[in-house]
Amino acid sequence: MSVTVLPFAWGADGALVKARVTQCALSRICGVCSRPLGRPVAFVGTPQEVGRNAFHAPPLHAGCVADLKALPYADPTWEVVTTAGFEYVRPNREDVDPRPTFEPNSLL
Amino acid sequence: MAIADVKEYTHLSTEEVEQLGRELDAIRTEIEESRGANDAAYINKMIRIQRGLAFAGRVTLFASNKKPAWAAGAAMLGAAKILENMEIGHNVMHGQWDWMNDPEIHSSNWEWDTAQPAEQWKHSHNYVHHQFTNVLGHDNDIGYGVLRMAREQKWHPVNLGQPVYNALLAGLFQWGVSLHDLDLEAIRKGKKDPKEMKRQLKQIVKKGRNQILKDYVVYPALSGKNWKTTLTANATANVTRNLWSYMIIFCGHFPDGALHFTEEEIEDETRAEWYLRQMLGSANFEGSRLTHVMAGSLGYQIEHHLFPDLPSNRYPEIAVKVRALCEKYDIPYTTGPLYRQYGQTLRTIMKLSLPNGMTSDDSPEPPSPPVERGRKSDAERPTRRQETGAYMRKAAS
Repeated sequence: MSVTVLPFAWGADGALVKARVTQCALSRICGVCSRPLGRPVAFVGTPQEVGRNAFHAPPLHAGCVADLKALPYADPTWEVVTTAGFEYVRPNREDVDPRPTFEPNSLL
Repeated sequence: MAIADVKEYTHLSTEEVEQLGRELDAIRTEIEESRGANDAAYINKMIRIQRGLAFAGRVTLFASNKKPAWAAGAAMLGAAKILENMEIGHNVMHGQWDWMNDPEIHSSNWEWDTAQPAEQWKHSHNYVHHQFTNVLGHDNDIGYGVLRMAREQKWHPVNLGQPVYNALLAGLFQWGVSLHDLDLEAIRKGKKDPKEMKRQLKQIVKKGRNQILKDYVVYPALSGKNWKTTLTANATANVTRNLWSYMIIFCGHFPDGALHFTEEEIEDETRAEWYLRQMLGSANFEGSRLTHVMAGSLGYQIEHHLFPDLPSNRYPEIAVKVRALCEKYDIPYTTGPLYRQYGQTLRTIMKLSLPNGMTSDDSPEPPSPPVERGRKSDAERPTRRQETGAYMRKAAS
């Protein structure tokens, strides 16, 4: 699906919209096109996010990743991982970064 | 009431709330790390049993002109529908089994045997209900937009008809649920995006048509001259499933002790505070293992709301630990026999059909007398509501 409007979970400034990230996590919809996820589920993240297996960006269709990466505010270092499932981790009080994260639980 | 108020009732300091959160995190981690072949075997066994029951029920109903075959077929089919909707479909769509990487048993492609399209359920239930649990004005599961289920909700003369609406909702539950994500209130107020409404309606009509075709046209036709008795047996199986799932779902948040929340501070909730709200807004019921399985493990509603994406077969062991934590931290763990939980729910439905002034509040006393601590004052919390019942009055006294 091509992105003709803003990706669902991102705001105009290129930042993630927390409420929409939560909606993607629980409704199990794609963070770009907002339609139900398929299998596998894709996540994009920096090498650091990949290394710790915890992503800030919501789950995506594998096919929507390219559309997201083509946007001007896409991080050129983003890597893609695919998984069958994920854990949605809400932030803790002591977390330096107050954003929720996604932890793929069955990497493919 | 706000979650901040609830913390006050339960005498927990910020650090204690966070410690409770860490202990719940540890339970979650333990299950995640031990998730494996035994859990996969469980869901596969459930699906085999369910499909066996459905097949046996459909075949038996070919002889539905004989009363024992009619009764056995309807019973097997009803049990299969209950099992599919409750223990299998509901939990698969929460992503409880996604980690298996099974092409079929996955939240992205499971479509269940009920009128509501899976996609809409994952929005109205997984997101709206589980994220905004018992937050008035947000969680449409509080009365399904039909019933007044909290004293904080404004009474209207139309609420006098609640006993009738309740009976209709119970009997036609799958059709009521099928309209749940449409948000009829938003449509009535003209706030619903017409394109989205049309898309959703199209999905509902297609799914509902297939459900009707399957149970009221195709299978009766396959029964030949017994079409009429097969049709009545199928209708009986559907109504049985409707009544059972209605009762189980209503027992999850409406028995005495399950709290409602009236403020929308949840955007900045920490994980521990979210846990606390889920625990205090949910109610369990007691029953045999079979009862719990047929209830989709929603007799462990508290554990389900804490960990909606952990495998349902693990809830019994999680419940032992959660209950111990509730005792340790002196917070309510609402549970009781199924008949009592539903009895309380039914009484609430009847009482709230009348204005508040004509009925008394049934909120239970908090587990310990509220104690004044050095927390926020009312002045610091100007949006605190004063009409939330016995807990609040006692805290203020």
